[in-house]
Amino acid sequence: MPERIRHAPLDTEKLKTVQAEIHLLKDQCKGCGYCIEFCPKKVLEESDEINARGVHPPRIVDENKCIVCGFCTTVCPDFAIFVIERSKEERKHA
Amino acid sequence: MSENKGSEPKQNQVRIGVYICHCGLNIAGSVDCGEVAKYAATLPNVVLAQDNRYTCSDQGQAGIKNDIKEHKLNRVVVASCSPRLHEPTFRKTCEEAGLNKYLFEMANIREHCSWVYFYDREAGTEKAKDLVKMAVAKAALLEPAEEAEVPITRKALVIGGGVAGIQAALDLADTGYKVYLVEKEPSIGGMMARIDKTFPTMDCSICILAPKMSDAGHHPNIELLTNSEVVEVNGYIGNFRVKVLKKPRYVIKDCTACGECVEVCPVVAPNEFDVGLATRHAIYTPFAQAVPSTYIIDMNLCLNKESVVVCDKCTKACERQAIKFEMKPEIEEFEVGTIIVATGADVFDPSGLPNYGYGRYPNVITSLEFERLINAGGPSGGHLIRPSDKQIPKRVAFVQCVGSRSDRNGRLYCSNVCCMNTIKDSLLIKEHWPETEIYVFYVDIRAYGKGFEDLYKRAKKAGVVFIRGLPAEIVEDKKTHNVWLIGENTLQKKIYKISAHMVILSIGLEARKDSEVIQRLLTLSRNQDGFFLEAHPKLRPVDAATGGVFFAGCAESPKDIKDSVTQASAAAARAGILMAKGKVTVEAITPVIIPENCKACGLCVKVCPYNAITLDKDLKRIEIIEAACGGCGTCAAECSFGALTQKHFTDEQIFAQIDAVTELGAEKKIVAFCCNWCSYAGADFAGVSRMQYPPNVRIIRTMCSGRVAPKFVERAFARGAAAVLVTGCHLGDCHYINANHQTQKRVERLWKKMDQNGLNKDRLQLLWASAAEGERFASKIREMKPLVENIKSKEIDKAKKVFEKALGGI
Repeated sequence: MPERIRHAPLDTEKLKTVQAEIHLLKDQCKGCGYCIEFCPKKVLEESDEINARGVHPPRIVDENKCIVCGFCTTVCPDFAIFVIERSKEERKHA
Repeated sequence: MSENKGSEPKQNQVRIGVYICHCGLNIAGSVDCGEVAKYAATLPNVVLAQDNRYTCSDQGQAGIKNDIKEHKLNRVVVASCSPRLHEPTFRKTCEEAGLNKYLFEMANIREHCSWVYFYDREAGTEKAKDLVKMAVAKAALLEPAEEAEVPITRKALVIGGGVAGIQAALDLADTGYKVYLVEKEPSIGGMMARIDKTFPTMDCSICILAPKMSDAGHHPNIELLTNSEVVEVNGYIGNFRVKVLKKPRYVIKDCTACGECVEVCPVVAPNEFDVGLATRHAIYTPFAQAVPSTYIIDMNLCLNKESVVVCDKCTKACERQAIKFEMKPEIEEFEVGTIIVATGADVFDPSGLPNYGYGRYPNVITSLEFERLINAGGPSGGHLIRPSDKQIPKRVAFVQCVGSRSDRNGRLYCSNVCCMNTIKDSLLIKEHWPETEIYVFYVDIRAYGKGFEDLYKRAKKAGVVFIRGLPAEIVEDKKTHNVWLIGENTLQKKIYKISAHMVILSIGLEARKDSEVIQRLLTLSRNQDGFFLEAHPKLRPVDAATGGVFFAGCAESPKDIKDSVTQASAAAARAGILMAKGKVTVEAITPVIIPENCKACGLCVKVCPYNAITLDKDLKRIEIIEAACGGCGTCAAECSFGALTQKHFTDEQIFAQIDAVTELGAEKKIVAFCCNWCSYAGADFAGVSRMQYPPNVRIIRTMCSGRVAPKFVERAFARGAAAVLVTGCHLGDCHYINANHQTQKRVERLWKKMDQNGLNKDRLQLLWASAAEGERFASKIREMKPLVENIKSKEIDKAKKVFEKALGGI
């Protein structure tokens, strides 16, 4: 449809928003950077710190942007990242 | 009535009958028809000349038939209205009397003469004489011709799956023809599916449309191609080859529309169907009643890109395994005999009107957004809420004619549906929330249709306040987001300042922004407003000028649902006539080859817009595929060896017309060449609109401006014409695809030649004018008047000398 959209959606409250909890096992990371490159929402970036293996592990930019697709877990060769889905309430509680 | 030149005709003697029509007072009011008839009787080959009140009447036609037999007429000339109107009528008359219809010629002394010289009877009569003389000169050289028959494929293509397209497709499919219904959106339904209620009966829009959508989806004769676009159309009436691009849905037909996939899809975006007032996911269905109900994945949104599956949540959720990320775009090719264009209209975008604040103020919305808001299937579940705080507004204002009827802010025309739509909307609000105060700011309320006035009265009775005078400005209160409407009440001559909780801009309809694509594919014309132009506004309102193509719905002009459905059924009936007949005759205006002159240079092959000429290099000859030929005559104009000519518009015939014009007083005349579809129709339109312009122009009609060979122009100058005007369709609008590009090249070459020989280039003019641009044509003639009047005989003689070669044989 060709109309320009000029108003914000009115039903955003009804949307189920997922809250991600990203876990990085920093010392297991070998710094390949796959998770950073393949994340569709660009949640990760390279950090400055140096881990036990002498490389820069990733760092979380904005956890709220994560949509828990789990692709980082899939592409990580060293099983160094996984994501848990939490509802908002659980998150607050924690 | 006068008669001359013996009673016993010799073999092959040309015997012309000339009929001057009074057309009541339409012609006789400013042309002395009796005198023209007397004059016609003195012209060569004329054996009979008479004037009568209505030549097109049964009596008039019977008279012609009788004369053909009694006086052994073998050519007939009628001087009356435009050949675009009555040529078919008189051709039929001739045929009924046993005379080949190509032996008939018309002189247009109404649109091109009496109507444009209202106050100058003498000039009108003189011009009418000239026009008759030209017609008689051409008639003497006319040849009988037989028309080729072309078979018609009994299948139809309907472009656009709104209510008009659905209706047209259903009508044709029920008649028994196979129909391809192509829709570019994921579902059929169009604009009507988005509207809440219909006026004047307040029926639920989707409730009455959904059964039709479902019928179209399940009809054995309809092949539904949604999420698809027509990308190529070749061929001609009865034999179109169509290519349709089927964009992938990434979900196959096994989908049961259970919606499990939507639950897990992590990506959210505004739903276009709700004008962004609601959200959808990357996998979605635009609305609950969508046909086909199969879901679709928006690949611009989905996380998966080009065979990299990042997220497979929907795939996992789908029990039927209906999601296929590997789907690719496909091209489907098929043949159809007829095409119905039902591409609909866009809505006006009021963001460009800063004084109304649309896009800046949250509580200023469009009527389309309102439809989604008030709809039970919409984002608010049918509760009227305002966007800023989601509260029910207590005071609502409607502003009419947003983008319509304005030369400054939008379009000039009336969009036809907005008045009634607003009245309907105001009643809807009153129905659910009777306490709401409603103000409607209008220019005029147009409640012209059946039941419309009743609805208008009902709204007034319900307490809706109608105020004449649009607000000059809408101002927002930054704290409350309420708005102030400030303007003049033109009935009371008072300034008003009214506060409202929400404003609904009643936006107009405009031509689809991508109409140009369909226009190019089907070689259609559009009017100045951008809507497709019908073959005749009164008598062929659903036919396109291109044979075998018809219009339905808003593609042709803004209209309501009832009119769209009516027009769709009409278009289906018109297409059905062609397909029931199973064949169509092609006008005998195709080119003729004179093989001994042909040098096999291949120039004609290059200029043919239809690829209807092929060159056989070994045999050194060309061949014409008559059925593919559009009949523009560009090839004949291109051939400089005299090896090609166009039937019914031969070089000899056009020369005879030029010679007739330039015989007397050439130094005061403009010889104009007009193409049948645009500029000639434009000149007709100038006549119909009674636009007065100088009587010094003589129009020679060709099918396309591409037929105008340089030698025609040269001949006119060689015979002392003051000026020559070549006119055609706008570049890009040519009825023959692109033949007028050749016209431009030829005129440019002639200008160069004139320049080199020290002639005034202004004496040859080129004008692009559409069928709706009568004023453009008329003002061109007015503009050329001083040029013609001030031209010196020395200049005329010089041009005569430069082009004297053109006086030779053909």
